[in-house]
Amino acid sequence: MDDAVIRDYISRELVRDPAILPLENSTPLLDSGVVDSLGLLRLVVFIQDQFGIVMDDLDVVPEHFASVDAICAYLRSRPDYAAAEQPEDARA
Amino acid sequence: MAHLLQQLLTDTARALPNAVAVECEEESLTYAELDRLSNSLARALLTCGVARGDRVGILARKSASSVVAVYAALKAGACHVPLDPGSPGERLAMIVGDSGIVVLLADEANAGRARELAEAASPDCRVISMDPRECSESSAALPAEGSDTELAYMLYTSGSTGVPKGVMISHRAALTFVEWAAACVRLTPEDRVCSPAPLHFDLSVFDIFSACRAGACTVLLPPLTSMFPVRLAEWIQTQRVTVWYSVPSVLTMLASHGNLQARDLGGLRAVIFAGEVFPAKHLSLLMRQLPGARFLNWYGPTETNVCTWYEVAHSATPLTAPVPIGRPCDGVDVFAVTADGSRVSAAGQEGELHVGGPGLMSGYWGLPERTREVMVPNPLAEGGAPVYRTGDIVTLDEGGNYVFLGRRDGMVKTRGYRVELGEVETVLYEHPAVREAVVLPVPDEMLGNRLRAVVCAGEELSREEVLEHCRRRLPAYMVPDTIEFAEYLPRTSTGKVDRVLLSDAKPASR
Repeated sequence: MDDAVIRDYISRELVRDPAILPLENSTPLLDSGVVDSLGLLRLVVFIQDQFGIVMDDLDVVPEHFASVDAICAYLRSRPDYAAAEQPEDARA
Repeated sequence: MAHLLQQLLTDTARALPNAVAVECEEESLTYAELDRLSNSLARALLTCGVARGDRVGILARKSASSVVAVYAALKAGACHVPLDPGSPGERLAMIVGDSGIVVLLADEANAGRARELAEAASPDCRVISMDPRECSESSAALPAEGSDTELAYMLYTSGSTGVPKGVMISHRAALTFVEWAAACVRLTPEDRVCSPAPLHFDLSVFDIFSACRAGACTVLLPPLTSMFPVRLAEWIQTQRVTVWYSVPSVLTMLASHGNLQARDLGGLRAVIFAGEVFPAKHLSLLMRQLPGARFLNWYGPTETNVCTWYEVAHSATPLTAPVPIGRPCDGVDVFAVTADGSRVSAAGQEGELHVGGPGLMSGYWGLPERTREVMVPNPLAEGGAPVYRTGDIVTLDEGGNYVFLGRRDGMVKTRGYRVELGEVETVLYEHPAVREAVVLPVPDEMLGNRLRAVVCAGEELSREEVLEHCRRRLPAYMVPDTIEFAEYLPRTSTGKVDRVLLSDAKPASR
C-alpha cells in the first residue's frame, strides 16, 4: 500500500516527462532523471513526514532511492517503520 | 604563451605527455591521448566540411569524450556550443537553429535526439558520434591558426524576452579567465580538480581549461554523486580531489548532510564557489569542517566570466553576513556607477557594477541591439572600449571589497543558474488558457530562490497542466516550483503587476 502512496507522490510532484507514466515500482528513478537533487530533498521530506521516521544522512544513498521498490525495501529495514494501516480488504 | 585555447592542450601534451588529463570513473586519458584523440575528431569535423568560425554543438553529458569533443571543435577552428542534454527538445531546437550549428557532436545516449535536432534544423546539419573508437581519421597535429578575437564557445543563458541568448566568448576572453584562475588557485600538475558544473555552465571553463593550463588532472564526478552528500564526501576523499569549484548549494548540502566528521578531506586544499550567494551559516559550518582549505568566492556573470574574487579567512567567530564578492581580478577593469553617474569610491555608496577589459564577451549572437544595451560606452571615461553593465547593484565595504546587494532587473538565481523571470512568464503566457501570469522569486537558503508562479486562467486549468506546459518548454531549473491560481493580479498605480504586494502575500498551499 505504501508503494502506491510513494508512486503517487513521485508521479504527481516529481515526474517531468509524462512519457514515463504510469510509474512502475521498478521504474528507475535516478538513472532516468525522474528524481533530481531538488526532487531528492523533497522526497526525503515526504517520506519522513508520511511514515514518521527520521532518515539519517548516511541512509540518503542511491541504493535506497533507485526505484519505488528500493524505497520500500529501505523502509521495511527500519525498525521504527510501521506500514500504513489499511483495512484487510483494501490490501488484497 | 597561448593565444588560442587549444594551445593549452598541445603545450601540456608536449610538456607532460603521460600526466593524466581527465579521469572519469574507470575511464582516463593522459594529455598525450587527449591531444591525439582530439586531433582525430577535429579532422573528422574538417572532413565533414566544418570551416573556421562555424558553430559545432556538443550534446553530451560531461565525460572524457566530451572533453575530447571540446578540444576537437577548437582545433577544427570552430566555436563550440555546449547543449544541455537535460533541456526540452523545443529549447534545444531553438538554440541549434539560432546559432546555426553545422555539426552536432553527440554521445551515445544523445545520438537519437541529436539526429532529430539536426534534421529539424537544416538539411546540411550533420551529426557525428564523439566515440573515439568510431573515428578513423589521422591523429596528426593541426596547425593552431586564427586570431584570439575569434569565438571559442557560445553559452546560452536565459533571455528576458522568452528566447535564450547566446553569449559569444572569444579565445582571448576565455584565456584571460583561464590564466588568471590557474594563478589565483596556484594550480600545479599535482592537483586533482573537480567541478560538477555541466559543460553548458561557464564554471566548467575552469576544470576543462585551467586544469589543462597547469597540467593538473580534471576529475569528473560520476552522475548522481553530487545529489548524495554522503557519497560525495566519500568520493572527494577517495579521488583525492585537491580543488573543488561549484555553486554554493552543493557545498551547503555537503556541509549539512555530508557526515564530514567521519571523513578525512585534508587533501582538499581549495574550495571555490560562484554563481550565487553562499548563506553565511552554511559557509561557516563548511569552513569549520575543512580547516585546512582555502575558501574563494568568485563573482562574474557569463558575459565577463569571473571579474572579482574574495578569499574568505578562517575565523573562530562564525560569519554573520554573506561574504563580499571582493576585488577585481588582475587585468580586469571593475567599477560601480551610482544613480547620478559618479564612481562608487567610498564605503557604503551603492551603484551598478560595470566590467571592462579583455575578459568580456564579444556580444550576444545575432542580437546587436540587445548587445548595445549591455555593452555600453564607459560612463566614467570618454572614448575607449565598451564596458559591460552587469545589472548587479553593489556597495563597497570598509576594506575596499565590493559587496553584492541585489539585481536591477527581473533576473534571479536558482541552483546557481540565471533565470529571467520574464522568460518563464513568456512561456506561461503561451498557454492558451493563461490570461495573466507572474513569476516571483521566493528566497531559499539551499537553492538561492524557488520560483513561484501566480496564474490567472480564463478557463479551467489544473496545476499539472501548467507544469506540463512549462516542462515541455523550459529546462528543469526554470520550471516554477509552485503554481498558484488567482482571479486577477494586483496592480500598482502605474498599472504594473504589484510584485511587492504579491511577494508579501502568504503563498497559498501548493
